[in-house]
Amino acid sequence: MSGTFNIMFCGVGGQGLMLLSSILGKAAVDAGLEVMTGEQHGLSQRQGSIYVHFRIGEPISPLIAYGKADMMIAMEASETLRYIEYLKDGGVVIMSNRIMPSVSETEKVALDKTGKTKYLTIEQIVDKLKMVTDNIVLLDSLELALQAGNAKTENSVLVGAALACPDFPIPTEKVREAVLALVPEKTIDANSRAFDLGLEAGGTCLGT
Amino acid sequence: MTVEDVMRTDHGPALMLSNEAVVRGALESDVKVVSFYPGSPVSEILDTFGEVLDHFGDYKMEIAANEKVALETVAGASMAGVRSFTSMKSVGMNVASDSMFSMGYTGLNAGCVCLIADDPFAHSSQSEQDGRYFGEVAYVPMIEPSNAQEAHDMVRWAFEVSERHKTLVIMRTTTRVNHSRGMVKLGDLKRTPFERKSWADVKGQYFTVGSVARALKAKLLEKKAALQKEFEKTKFNFIDEGKGTTGVITAGVCYLHTKEAMRNLEAELPVLKIGTLFPLPEEKIADFLKRLDKVIIVEELTPYLETRITAIAKEANPTIEIIGKKSGHFSEMLEYNVPIVEKVLSDVTGSEISLDYDAILTRAEELAEVLSNRVPIFCPGCPHRGTLWAFRQALNRLKIRDKIVFNNDIGCYSMAFLPPNEFSDSMLAMGASLGLSAGMNLVLEDKVIAMVGDSTLYHAALPGIVNLIHHNSNVTLFVLDNSVTAMTGQQFNPNSEFNAGGHPARKINMEKFFEALGAAKIAIIDPYETRDCIQPIIDAIQIEGLSVIISKRDCALYGDRLKKRLGEKIVPSENVKDTCRSIYACVKEFYCPAILVDEDDRKMKIQQDLCDGCLECRQVCPVDAPRHIER
Ligand SMILES: Cc1ncc(C[n+]2csc(CCOP(=O)(O)OP(=O)(O)O)c2C)c(N)n1
Repeated sequence: MSGTFNIMFCGVGGQGLMLLSSILGKAAVDAGLEVMTGEQHGLSQRQGSIYVHFRIGEPISPLIAYGKADMMIAMEASETLRYIEYLKDGGVVIMSNRIMPSVSETEKVALDKTGKTKYLTIEQIVDKLKMVTDNIVLLDSLELALQAGNAKTENSVLVGAALACPDFPIPTEKVREAVLALVPEKTIDANSRAFDLGLEAGGTCLGT
Repeated sequence: MTVEDVMRTDHGPALMLSNEAVVRGALESDVKVVSFYPGSPVSEILDTFGEVLDHFGDYKMEIAANEKVALETVAGASMAGVRSFTSMKSVGMNVASDSMFSMGYTGLNAGCVCLIADDPFAHSSQSEQDGRYFGEVAYVPMIEPSNAQEAHDMVRWAFEVSERHKTLVIMRTTTRVNHSRGMVKLGDLKRTPFERKSWADVKGQYFTVGSVARALKAKLLEKKAALQKEFEKTKFNFIDEGKGTTGVITAGVCYLHTKEAMRNLEAELPVLKIGTLFPLPEEKIADFLKRLDKVIIVEELTPYLETRITAIAKEANPTIEIIGKKSGHFSEMLEYNVPIVEKVLSDVTGSEISLDYDAILTRAEELAEVLSNRVPIFCPGCPHRGTLWAFRQALNRLKIRDKIVFNNDIGCYSMAFLPPNEFSDSMLAMGASLGLSAGMNLVLEDKVIAMVGDSTLYHAALPGIVNLIHHNSNVTLFVLDNSVTAMTGQQFNPNSEFNAGGHPARKINMEKFFEALGAAKIAIIDPYETRDCIQPIIDAIQIEGLSVIISKRDCALYGDRLKKRLGEKIVPSENVKDTCRSIYACVKEFYCPAILVDEDDRKMKIQQDLCDGCLECRQVCPVDAPRHIER
């Protein structure tokens, strides 16, 4: 590959974002590519917003500059908007449709006796994303993971979908190998199926 | 990329977190004693050393009570003749510095390296403290890497410098470097067996006061001169050649931002990258300045380099224009990134910026307007949530919510400052709640209440507690006994039955200890029996003298891991449509992230994969709605 391929990972603490970035990290290194990341480790509480700047090719800084991420992979849908400044115009968004409302949002919904205050919806999020890109892969990642046989294989679904992007720089087989090498042994089959389901769903969305 | 890479016997390259690369560098240097107190962004160094402890089995490791003890431990090991290493967050050095200053004078023996990590942006710290001054004021050499490879290489070099000059070496990093992964070419992993030494073979004198101190100071100045001479030539201070008479001087992660900004701008400025913050390579800097008529200094936080470079320029090149913080181009606040540096370089050189970053940020702000903030909150199952709820109820029942002062301390419970609790009158530094309470108790008519976690208790709260009891101060102290140092990743502490590498250790008996000190009252509560906590808190608050409330329950994340290991299942609460009356106490007063509101029937909806099954919410619910799923 030439140049640098930038991926912004985002999600909520406890979702396994670090495993996701480890998988792509291993795959890229095994494929002989250079990788650099800038990670938000933060404190250990669950439910905080977290991200990883993941850069393949010729990165120098650990951080992606605003507007220069080729791809965003989101394990939680609303987090795509929290980091939208990083996505380039027309960049690819691979996102789960899972929304984990913050407690303050839940409080607002609960306390509005009229019932008019609603949680943020996937449609609202996608509408906003469309101001930046049309290349959106929206996945029911939990449903696909369940189809694959294990609810905890959502990561593999998302990774699989990313591979459907034509200029994704890491070869599919390297990524599959990395997935299978890093997930718990008992879940290898389910993860392999999840990966394929993600790949297929991603292909359908991106028309590849 | 995982802890496996730290153990590899080939030469990589491996994709490593800088914190892992540091561990690897220290292991390649045959480090024999390591000791740490955790803190972000260096906790992974402690964790990684712990994970590979049994694999190597040839070094000793302790999780110390605090950073001062950790530094003293590794200094003691160095005096005893083996290489040693510690790391701490920025403010950790404030605690350790008393001994560190003296170590500068006495010097050490075997290689001894201490990493300190500053936190521009205060991602996870009390302040944006700039620790670069420690080297200079203590006459202790200080170096700074910019990425994982350099972190690895510099640690190895630091051990050599330390041994050559018989001094502690401090490696300074920033969060962005600690938490960045990069490709690392590994060195040989040649370990030797651990061997005890005899003091007669290694002994030296590590004693400083009065006339001894004055004599040592004279030697220290010689040491500084020798270090300076060596640092003029080290490969870690280097120049990337370029064109023209505008140049850049930078260090740490800013070097990387600068290089990428230059690539974006297609600019070819000469860049002097500083790897030794103290002593600075003054001659190298002077020579560099002589070639230029403009120098751009790129560094986060205070103008540490800028001030010193300005002084050097006064002789080397008095007319040079200095672009930095004083000129108004860069801020002393927050973290830098490529766009920030690119904008200044573009301004100064006239090259066109590669993207309209401001427009992108403005659009992003608009798009994100629909989001609500994800403020930090307690995890599902966190015992602190129940303790704080009961505390609030006790204050309400006593009708003294406005007649108390609450001095909070440092740990997960610091979040009492945030909704839904939103109370905490102070929080300065670990253990500070006790001293502040002493002062307030002398002056205020209000009841003074303090709160510490178990790790904070043993880290820096003990002198404050002894002081309160000795002076018969009227203070109520909460001790949150959750078995681990939770906030930094559930490391063990003196209140745990284990220590480094999961090896057994002696748990200090907290009750006996307070008893022996003569606390006026010791109440033990279980925050999962949340309602039952209220009365003991009321009683404790009303007692004269130091009353102690020990709230006992394992950190939920730690507890879940123990359960997993034992094969126990976490049984979440059911979605209780039949019993929920939409009172929302669980939402308003509790803020558990597992709890949502069902938009259709407006009853509570429990996210099954998040719920920890603690049922604290049942205790808070006026109609006892939540209950475990029946299996
Ligand atoms: C001097 C210093 N060292 C380390 C830290 C990092 N730190 C922040 S919170 C915390 C944990 C405190 O643990 P504890 O008091 O037991 O509370 P818990 O998080 O377990 O509730 C630590 C070590 C710090 N802020 N200051």
